Amino acid sequence: FKDDLSTSPQLFTPMSPYDVDLPIQTTEDVLFGSQFNQPKELPTDFSSVDLSFLPDITQDSKEENLSEAGHDMQKEFDGSISSRNEDSSIFVDESSLSYPDATRPSPEASGVCPPLTPMTPMTPVTPASESSGIVPQLQNIVSTVNLACKLDLKNIALHARNAEYNPKRFAAVIMRIREPRTTALIFSSGKMVCTGAKSEEQSRLAARKYARVVQKLGFPAKFLDFKIQNMVGSCDVRFPIRLEGLVLTHQQFSSYEPELFPGLIYRMVKPRIVLLIFVSGKVVLTGAKERSEIYEAFENIYPILKGFKKAS
Amino acid sequence: MAYQLYRNTTLGNSLQESLDELIQSQQITPQLALQVLLQFDKAINSALAQRVRNRVNFRGSLNTYRFCDNVWTFVLNDVEFREVTELVKVDKVKIVACDGKSKYGIRHK
Repeated sequence: FKDDLSTSPQLFTPMSPYDVDLPIQTTEDVLFGSQFNQPKELPTDFSSVDLSFLPDITQDSKEENLSEAGHDMQKEFDGSISSRNEDSSIFVDESSLSYPDATRPSPEASGVCPPLTPMTPMTPVTPASESSGIVPQLQNIVSTVNLACKLDLKNIALHARNAEYNPKRFAAVIMRIREPRTTALIFSSGKMVCTGAKSEEQSRLAARKYARVVQKLGFPAKFLDFKIQNMVGSCDVRFPIRLEGLVLTHQQFSSYEPELFPGLIYRMVKPRIVLLIFVSGKVVLTGAKERSEIYEAFENIYPILKGFKKAS
Repeated sequence: MAYQLYRNTTLGNSLQESLDELIQSQQITPQLALQVLLQFDKAINSALAQRVRNRVNFRGSLNTYRFCDNVWTFVLNDVEFREVTELVKVDKVKIVACDGKSKYGIRHK
């Protein structure tokens, strides 16, 4: 049992006996199928690649072979990349692009062992090459807070500005403020929902402003358990996407019914985020409790989307 | 029971002031004054609904709004009231609006 773990190239080294028992579920395992445990997933093109750059060769011939090997590999990769674009294992594309750089040392560097990249990278899966360079923008934050006192909603509706109260239709006061531009639902229990803010701080600030309004009306309002419940972000990958292809290869995560809704609904497992992906290349990400989840989800989906870019 | 909305208008206030004077001078009873006001409510609601045909448009910026007891209250700033014939500009206007479709009105204070 212990041997299995030590020989297979896992992403962690057990620090204590307890760690050994933890199941390793990397994003890649779930999304792409584990690259490390199933070398079969690697493109078969590698079989024809000159592997003489590996540390067996002598010092003199090393550089020579290395530059040759570098060129060979370059050709292999250039040739194979376009054909492999259709694969779901796009992650391999990224790492393979880094090989030519890593294995082609400058002729001047004599006697220096060039940085050798193993065929199966041991580093975290995010490719050493580019990140997407696109940052999703937060569009909406929903948060809740407990004012910890019973409220007379009719009183609040009559005395506060910019308030609506129609108990026949909805049992809460709907109040709005202009800065930060938000809407709050205030319930008689003292609980409140704050929506519409564009950042975590703005959501908290807005909630505090509503609490102050309620306080000024004479209620002993507090500010307990402020929590962000949902964050929504959006961005543009700037190329059209083949949603039909994406739903075919990622069917366990995707749901695409163009007659129902024009966007593909991608339910990412880690992080647990739902993405709405559109043909235009626009992406909406929702379901996050933290900003980092939005960013992480986008970085995960970007290479997949690149693989389904519409050829034009 | 018609909306008592129109009591706080130039016309309605003039009526109430006159009625108060009559009460003061003991020429009518407060009960009669109340009946007069109720009749006024009916008359003004009916007149506005049946005898007014012209249309006025207005546009301004919304300062505040409120909706409670099925009554909307708006405060607008820098409003332009436009009728075919003329244009009136005001700095501030308060609009109190009751539901037109409902048969019964409630007194809004």
